Amino acid sequence: MDILNSSDDELVRSAQKGSMDAYEELVHRHRDKIYARAFSMLRNEDQALDMSQEAWVKAWQRLAQFKHNSSFTTWITRICINLCLDLIRKRKRQKLDSLDKLEEELGGVERLIEEAEDFNPTEKIERAELRERIDLALAKLSHEHRTVLVLHEFEQMEYKEIAKSIHCSIGTVMSRLFYARRKLGKLLISLKKER
Amino acid sequence: MISKEDRLKIQAWVDGELAPQESAQIADLIENSLTAKELANDLRGVRKVLKNGEKTVKIQDSPEFYWNQIQQKIESLDHVTDKMDERLESKTTPTALQWLIPIGSLAAISALIMHFNDSEIGQGVDSDAFKPAESIGFQPKSGLSEGSSIGLIEEEVSEGSELGVFSFEGTQIGGDLINPEEAGSLPESIENPER
Repeated sequence: MDILNSSDDELVRSAQKGSMDAYEELVHRHRDKIYARAFSMLRNEDQALDMSQEAWVKAWQRLAQFKHNSSFTTWITRICINLCLDLIRKRKRQKLDSLDKLEEELGGVERLIEEAEDFNPTEKIERAELRERIDLALAKLSHEHRTVLVLHEFEQMEYKEIAKSIHCSIGTVMSRLFYARRKLGKLLISLKKER
Repeated sequence: MISKEDRLKIQAWVDGELAPQESAQIADLIENSLTAKELANDLRGVRKVLKNGEKTVKIQDSPEFYWNQIQQKIESLDHVTDKMDERLESKTTPTALQWLIPIGSLAAISALIMHFNDSEIGQGVDSDAFKPAESIGFQPKSGLSEGSSIGLIEEEVSEGSELGVFSFEGTQIGGDLINPEEAGSLPESIENPER
């Protein structure tokens, strides 16, 4: 088997038969994508690295369960997301993120709506600079808000899929997504002003 | 002023997650309310900005180092799984040793009894030293019967005996240690454990 020229699907089928070489090639091809997803959720390099590796280990163990209904990268990204969510839940138990909850309860959204009005997303900004800004803004969101935003905007997950993943109601997902977007809009404006 | 419910519905409308009948209602609201229109535009704006994607993050470790760590974890897990399987197998599948121990123990007890009897008859050993059961008035219900072979130790419930009392058949040459005829002399508590 020509591993380097094989498709992902061929490599997965080979790995399912026990080929570590095929699996190694899959790791080489997609390691950055998996790591990036872990990092976007955890905002911590070491933890993201651990979780990404953990995802590869778990995927190897469950490889027989992969039925080729979706792409391999989608499948392993979901594994990584679930691992990150577990870690976030653990961290949350240790540290109560009370500030965001308070803001939600006090109806901070009205303030945000007004402040976000002068935000013009169509303004031309260098793509790399914009990505940098988005990254900084995402880093300032709470785990709850960032998670729903990342899953919806970058993983194209529907409300009900997100609700299932994070073990909450669709209403909670909608609410968190709403506040996350409003906050992100506000953060992007303030970052623009800073520069 | 838009209600919280309507705000979330506007968002769902922007995301294409609203049911058709509600979708028409919200479209109507957006068309007729300036606030609703602005909110929809803001939400669309954030979505558009996020379409630019995430900042590219890459793993700093070399591909080989990253893979080696994953491989080590997989191998250590495989090792643990193998050990667990072995343990499980040894628990569920009886080994020859598991059968030999009780058989060997029974053979050893029989040999001791034989030796005891031989010593008593042939060498005139003071048999009182070997009569602790008698000294407390204990009389076994059954014992080794004359003419049986040593190897064939049968465990059977003797006819008419009480529950939980077994008889053993084996070689017995004289002696008063075991006398099946005197089963009635067993204390009630031993003869019938239920009492």
